[in-house]
Amino acid sequence: MRVETLAQAGRKPWLALGLLLLCVSFLPAHAAEVPVTGDWLVSHMLSDPEQLNPLTSNDGGSASILNYIFENLLDHHPQTLELRPQLATARPQISDDKLTYTFTLRRDAHFQDGKPLTGQDVLFSVKAIKNPWVNAPFLRVYYQSLVQAELVDDYTLRLVAKEPYFLNETVLSQVPVLPRHYYDPDGSMDSLSVTELAALRPGDAAAEASPQGTQARKFAEQFNTNFSRNPMGSGPYKFHSWQTGQAVVLQRDPHYWGIGKEGIDQPYIDQRTMRVFNNPDAALVALKAGELDTMPLMPIQHLKQTSGARFDKQFAKHQFFTPSYSYIGWNNAHPLFSDMRVRQAMTYLTNRQQMVKTLLFELGEVVNGPIYLFRPEYDKTLVPYPYDPQKALQLLGEAGWKDTDGDGILDKMIDGQKVPFRFEIKFNSGNEIRKSVALTLQDELKKHGVDANVRQLDWTIYLDDVRNHKFEAVILGWGMPAIEPDEYQVWHSSQAENKGSNHVSYKNTRADALLEEYRRTFDAQKRVELYREFQQILHQEQPYTFLFIQKAILAVDRRFQNVKLYPQRPRPLEWWVPKAQQRYHEVSQ
Amino acid sequence: MLPYLLQRLLLLLPTLIGVTCISFAITHLAPGDPAELRAGGGLGGAGAEGLSSKNRGDLDRALAAWRAQYGLDQSLPAQYWRWLRNLGTLEFGNSFKDNQPVWRKIAERLPITIQLNAVSIVMIYLVAIPLGVYSATHPYSVSDQATTFTAFLLFALPSFWIGTLAIVFLCGGDFLDLFPPGGMTSVGYSSTWPFWQRLWDRAWHLCLPVLVMSYGGFAGLSRFMRSSMLENIRQDYVQTARAKGLSEHLVIYKHVLRNSLIPIVTIMASILPGLISGSVIIETIFSIPGVGLLAYEAVLARDYPIIMAVFTISSLLTLVSILISDTLLTLVDPRITFSGRSA
Repeated sequence: MRVETLAQAGRKPWLALGLLLLCVSFLPAHAAEVPVTGDWLVSHMLSDPEQLNPLTSNDGGSASILNYIFENLLDHHPQTLELRPQLATARPQISDDKLTYTFTLRRDAHFQDGKPLTGQDVLFSVKAIKNPWVNAPFLRVYYQSLVQAELVDDYTLRLVAKEPYFLNETVLSQVPVLPRHYYDPDGSMDSLSVTELAALRPGDAAAEASPQGTQARKFAEQFNTNFSRNPMGSGPYKFHSWQTGQAVVLQRDPHYWGIGKEGIDQPYIDQRTMRVFNNPDAALVALKAGELDTMPLMPIQHLKQTSGARFDKQFAKHQFFTPSYSYIGWNNAHPLFSDMRVRQAMTYLTNRQQMVKTLLFELGEVVNGPIYLFRPEYDKTLVPYPYDPQKALQLLGEAGWKDTDGDGILDKMIDGQKVPFRFEIKFNSGNEIRKSVALTLQDELKKHGVDANVRQLDWTIYLDDVRNHKFEAVILGWGMPAIEPDEYQVWHSSQAENKGSNHVSYKNTRADALLEEYRRTFDAQKRVELYREFQQILHQEQPYTFLFIQKAILAVDRRFQNVKLYPQRPRPLEWWVPKAQQRYHEVSQ
Repeated sequence: MLPYLLQRLLLLLPTLIGVTCISFAITHLAPGDPAELRAGGGLGGAGAEGLSSKNRGDLDRALAAWRAQYGLDQSLPAQYWRWLRNLGTLEFGNSFKDNQPVWRKIAERLPITIQLNAVSIVMIYLVAIPLGVYSATHPYSVSDQATTFTAFLLFALPSFWIGTLAIVFLCGGDFLDLFPPGGMTSVGYSSTWPFWQRLWDRAWHLCLPVLVMSYGGFAGLSRFMRSSMLENIRQDYVQTARAKGLSEHLVIYKHVLRNSLIPIVTIMASILPGLISGSVIIETIFSIPGVGLLAYEAVLARDYPIIMAVFTISSLLTLVSILISDTLLTLVDPRITFSGRSA
């Protein structure tokens, strides 16, 4: 399969690190047929969403449901990933200093209860995010740069950012628009401005006691507790029900404002039921029994449990890359790995091709850097480090590692002390692929006089160690944005401090300069050039041994039409079923 | 009797506080920070995980505010004291995950778990007691050995394995289509269905979980019943009963069985705590939204309020069940008194 363009459209797409969200698939569309409405799509969730409040939820499961209920000012075209109008009439006017963004709203949009959607609602949503007592600390971080918001008229909104940043437009246009009359019936937030809210600090007694503070807290208290299971927005699907631990049901809104509107995606499936199966084996059985219409398959399910004519007749399997990669992070601040040649040697000793073959069953590809393979920024000229033990030993020798005492383990004098080449590879328990990577590498290193121990840790303990730089080597993964990346938080030297994401303590002045300039550059072509150079530096320095990107497999019942392949994820919103093949004829009451 | 009961009830309180104190310490001292976990995108981290944000300083402030909101910034004893005071008013706080009251989340799941466990326990007793009686009346025969062997074989089969096999072979995959593969309701389920249809749907969904949950329990209880019976059969009063010409049927079912049931009655109380926490594995395999699953997920997410609530409820049930066991014992067997000893 081929992904032509690169893309992502997420709820928080500017996150350089997202959850692993499932992507895409394709079938030749039945071009001659006209899509019709009707039928259900029953899909699979491993567990309940956290909660269905678009501001206070922070997990992938919730986001994938809320995407159908709420809309933004702009969204991303699934194929080109360009921003395109959704609730706004066009992309915003940006002032010359790149700080002021003026959005004009459509006048024909309304919420699912029929009330019109105006600038007041957008302004309210922005304020709710900025309210420091609203339980959305993780979302709010991305809106730190937003310092002012005001209405020019009922359908024109002006947002002001603190500093120029090329992703400002993306961030500001992704505010989920909540109906003010529903989420704030008392109008508690009306009298507060974004500037006032930004100045409030929770925990500060004076701020809490001030009239603004009291008002903001009053709103937050009811907002945090009253709206976790009853979302209402302007999107194509209405929330119907949520049976804890069993299913979430959404139904197509027959009065959706976007029906028949040019440039707005049309919904066809009448009901979307997301069923919970905690057990992937049970989910697969449910799929085969017709209780599910679609589910992502694990590699073993794909290879061993879903072959055969019977399965093929009922389901199509779609393969696609997931924008995320695995890597081995070397603690660059550790005496063992502070030498670039040692890190290069480690990569030469990691047989990545073999791992893709035996661990991933060819469902993946070796990567050389942190940029999604299909992005224009991705540097295709990089030559992957091959598996080459000779080269590795030579590099280790140059770095001063020799077996001087004949005990079979390389050693070196560091600060007047003889240090053997011995370290620990950490990873989180329960992740079989990482475990296999660690064991394979351990085995390989042993042959060449390097003594590596393997240690698996509970996820929370592992995270603590990673954030506090308490490791020599870790195996981890990052989500890659399919939209424009910003690698600042992972690689900039400032991010090595204070539990930042640069947990391997990578420091390079030229890389820092590139990362900073990239963020201030508004010319897309220029940004591509900057990141090409950045990737070459990383490739040379090998702060990580980049491992691979994996493919996901999605099984979809063959009655669904228009199941297309996109760079980021499938879009069930576009799917439809011909009348004759529809399985469910009434929606749930 | 009454003073004894009162004394036991009074003792229950300090024991419970001791238990909660220890579990509070263990829960909170275990590594892992719920705030950081939330910042990492919840538990979605098994694949590619987000660790942090572009501005750690902002996030740290946000995390501090989040901790303050749940009182996690205070010292451990202060947090415990606050928790204990809230417990006095039966207030378990709000879950970290969705800020909903813990008691509501538990109450929502409790009926399901109790249904599952109660049916399984009844099932175990219905099968194991006749089995034990049969074994005892035919001691050391081939059939006794066969039933004992089978019961122990079942006991040795891990339920997660049998559960998975049952799903694969009996739930409409590539093999038989007899039961649903999980969950509590069918796809088209509606609360407007007539009562009998809802009941049937629920029963159909509970079939496999109950079977898988109960088969392992046959061995213990039937052995218990068997030895209790055998012990009684050897008693003089059985000799007497036989000597005065009672039929064997009457001897076994009227005299021996009744007396042998005394210990069985008392251990019945000990299954009380199992009612809410005994089914984590089954709930996970069969996707049943019960308390066990809730507690398990809470432990992984370090959702302290939920963990503590489940701990407290199950330890309270344990204490109460011990009390009930002891009381029952004195009731069914007048020879036993505790009041004398405790005076």
